[in-house]
Amino acid sequence: MRIPALPKSTKRSLIKSDPVLYSAMVAVWLSFAVFIFLPLLSLLWTTFFVNGTFSFANIKKVWSAKYNVRALYGSLILATAVSVSGTLLGYIFALAVTRTTLPKPLKVLLGAVTILPLISPPFTSSISLTLALGPNGMLLKALGIKNFSIYGFIGIWISETLTYFPVAFMVISAILNTMAATLDDAALSLGASRWRMLRTVTIPLSLPGIGNSILLLFGASLADFATPLILGGHTFPVLPTEAYLLITGMFDLKGGAALSFLLLVPALVVFFLQRQLLGTKSFVSVTGKNGARTEFAQLPKTLVVAISAICTIMVVFIIYLYAIILWGSFVKVWSVNNTFTFEHYRYVFKHGRKAIGDTLLIAFLSTVIGSVLAVVIGYITQRKTFIGKRFMEFSSMLNYALPGTVVGIAYIIGFNRKPILLTGTLTILVAAYVFRYYATGIRSVVASLEQIDPALEEASLSLGAGTLRTFTHVTIPLIIPAVFAGMRYLFIHCMTAISATIFLVSVRWTLLTTRILESMTELQFSQASAFSIVLIVIVFAADAIMHRALGMITANFHRPQEASYEIIGA
Amino acid sequence: MKSSALELKQVSKTFTKDGQTVNAVQSVDLTVEQGELVTFLGPSGCGKTTTLRMVAGFELPTAGEITIQGKDMTNMPVNKRGIGFVFQNYALFPHMSVYGNVAYGLKARGERTRDIGEKVRSALKLVGLANTENRYPNQLSGGEQQRVALARVIVMEPNLLLMDEPLSNLDAKLRLHMRTEIRALQKKLGITCLYVTHDQSEALTMADRIVVMNKGRVEQVGTPFEIYSNPQSVFVADFIGQANIVELQIVLAEQETLTAQIPGGGTFKARALRPDHHVQGSELYRTGQSAALVIRPENILVQDPSSEDGTFPAHVRSSIYVGSHVEYELVLANGTAIKAMVPFSRGMHIYEQQEQVSLLFDATATAFLPL
Ligand SMILES: Nc1ncnc2c1ncn2[C@@H]1O[C@H](COP(=O)(O)OP(=O)(O)OP(=O)(O)O)[C@@H](O)[C@H]1O
Ligand SMILES: [Mg+2]
Repeated sequence: MRIPALPKSTKRSLIKSDPVLYSAMVAVWLSFAVFIFLPLLSLLWTTFFVNGTFSFANIKKVWSAKYNVRALYGSLILATAVSVSGTLLGYIFALAVTRTTLPKPLKVLLGAVTILPLISPPFTSSISLTLALGPNGMLLKALGIKNFSIYGFIGIWISETLTYFPVAFMVISAILNTMAATLDDAALSLGASRWRMLRTVTIPLSLPGIGNSILLLFGASLADFATPLILGGHTFPVLPTEAYLLITGMFDLKGGAALSFLLLVPALVVFFLQRQLLGTKSFVSVTGKNGARTEFAQLPKTLVVAISAICTIMVVFIIYLYAIILWGSFVKVWSVNNTFTFEHYRYVFKHGRKAIGDTLLIAFLSTVIGSVLAVVIGYITQRKTFIGKRFMEFSSMLNYALPGTVVGIAYIIGFNRKPILLTGTLTILVAAYVFRYYATGIRSVVASLEQIDPALEEASLSLGAGTLRTFTHVTIPLIIPAVFAGMRYLFIHCMTAISATIFLVSVRWTLLTTRILESMTELQFSQASAFSIVLIVIVFAADAIMHRALGMITANFHRPQEASYEIIGA
Repeated sequence: MKSSALELKQVSKTFTKDGQTVNAVQSVDLTVEQGELVTFLGPSGCGKTTTLRMVAGFELPTAGEITIQGKDMTNMPVNKRGIGFVFQNYALFPHMSVYGNVAYGLKARGERTRDIGEKVRSALKLVGLANTENRYPNQLSGGEQQRVALARVIVMEPNLLLMDEPLSNLDAKLRLHMRTEIRALQKKLGITCLYVTHDQSEALTMADRIVVMNKGRVEQVGTPFEIYSNPQSVFVADFIGQANIVELQIVLAEQETLTAQIPGGGTFKARALRPDHHVQGSELYRTGQSAALVIRPENILVQDPSSEDGTFPAHVRSSIYVGSHVEYELVLANGTAIKAMVPFSRGMHIYEQQEQVSLLFDATATAFLPL
């Protein structure tokens, strides 16, 4: 007789049941330990431990310097101002695109103009503002304004608003687009005027978007390093630049660490508030929804006129700012000697060749490694259940949520001694980019996996394919568009971002963006312009190539119509 | 000794989600022989899918043992079990052509390209889809997608074919058609098949045997005939077909027969089901307690009121003439509602609302079940 099967534990070790997953998880945790936890803990250690004992001495010391306190307030005031003005401007643009009957080409132009600041290096608007409104500024001369200084709060504020309002525009237009047009009709049919409809329907329903935009812009401005460095001068200190100057100018690591801790606190608050906000409503469906649908009601006439006027002025201004850089790159000495010359480009391709090569290599490596990591992390956190999953999700976003300056300082502190001595290497630069900007990749992979029925993967397994084959033959082909979306974003950031990596460049490895910064601080505006133009062209070209590549890859399996991912599994 | 195609021994599955535990499947025992088609039938959430997914290996049992052709499969990864699974939504790979879909498993198995081509074509022919090889899933109708899903699985010649409500996304007419087609194919290939459905008629017409599940447990396993005519519990009687359940008080419990009190009338004698539990000495039926009398609507005669022993006094709530039958809704003296379906013949009297009648239950088609 057989003994009836006793309840038999079916717990097995992960190593045996799914060795691939096991190795992936070990690799992910190891990489987190080295590139996320080690630097951050080193930063905290340096801030709070003096000779091995816990102490607030470092914080007290930076706090007692009046200049640093001013920098903290400066940062907060600036972030508040930018988040308000940027969100307002973004809302106006979003209304123009989603709620007016402006001619189609004009709307396309509006969209295009908002893309420019997103993919330009962070200095672009600062440089062009300097050219226009700085010493010998073109616009100042043209308008006959004297005694105006772009350096200080005003300059940073304008520049950051220009740089970040597109983020607000994207977030808000997404939510305005997904609103049901029938609500407008309902309000109007109930006798509401167009103003009243706007006030009682449109704006209240877009509040989550407004809230998210304010938080995003607050965080971005708080972390922005490039703009205040160029436009802040000594009149308007902010935390990221102060930390940078302390470290690179005075080699005061402890002071820098303490300052960046002051910056870390509000940044984390914003991060948590944003998670809270997004957790309750998943409205950020950044799908470019357009096409046939019921029309939204028209806005009040006067408002349409005002919106059109503001948008026109902004579009002209932004185009002017980019044109001015292009022009600036071709003149001998800006505003002094306006003869046409290729001199600056010659300089860029001669003395900047190393920077160009380094930047491309670093961006390429970071994009490839970052995308692979994003796919692995996105896949295991979306598809698998395991202990510590939440923590993995959270950790993966940490370097992204923190201001770049904080991450940069954490990296130099964490990697400037044994056992992991990486300062001055290619590895540290690539790691800084990868663990900061793969976040978007992870998100798009997760979002894409959520759309894909797990039954497809189960079907593959049940047909005898192993985990790895299923992953490469079924999962990857289905999420490849999302992977590419993440890659494009990653590449753009690796080419343009500077706040973290400014601390990590060396004689051996340098970046285009740092060359731009050097040119600016040496007041070589034309040279800086030429560098910027080259950078923008490279970014555009690379982006176009990636777009093409995606088209070619997916052409084979979305036939004949684009297979929409909603019908997957059907 | 030849081993069974599939054996489940005390298989249980408990899910834990957000601190709550759900006993989705509890101590299921089942043996399936080679070439059988066994359907799983039961209300939503009773654990049919979970059981099937454990057999497939998508879920691991919390306890118990699963063997396929005598080999212990409890912890075997899905891809090593040699099973085929047909999903409710077909789960065709949208990025592969019909050919790619059907060839997928053969390629994974590392077969030669020439063999693959041959096998794929013959499988597609078998399901009536020759010449669709180069189409993509989104270019096929629902019924065609269903066939591709079937071809993709049978081309692998699995030990065991598992289907989870494979027809539920098709329209009613196609469903009837596919039902017979799947059954014919399964017989022709001699594949052992587990088939989940909550469509009774599907289960009754297709199955060699039916497993009726309720709340994670197996209520009864048997041929369609056994399940229908010899339900072993009130749940099965109620769930399969239409049945009237009348609660009666037992006045005499004898060997395999019970006599019970008719509300407002005499007594009624019928057989007691569950021969595995003898009446005497068992806890199932005891004098003075209640038992459930199960009677199907077609086994009731409606007559003029009489005081004959064994008849049930009742009044008519409604009567509908539907051509070949008269459908009655009746109410017993204790308030129990009864449905009766009486074959209509010429000159027959149709009782009107509120008329008093007397019901005669066909004792051979009636049985007591423990409550
Ligand atoms: N992954 C899971 N996590 C938690 N609970 C689950 C999971 N899968 C199933 N359950 C629960 O287990 C029970 C049985 O589910 P199952 O899907 O097996 O039912 P079913 O009989 O197939 O129902 P239906 O006819 O609706 O398909 C349900 O209560 C269900 O909520
Ligand atoms: Mg189910």
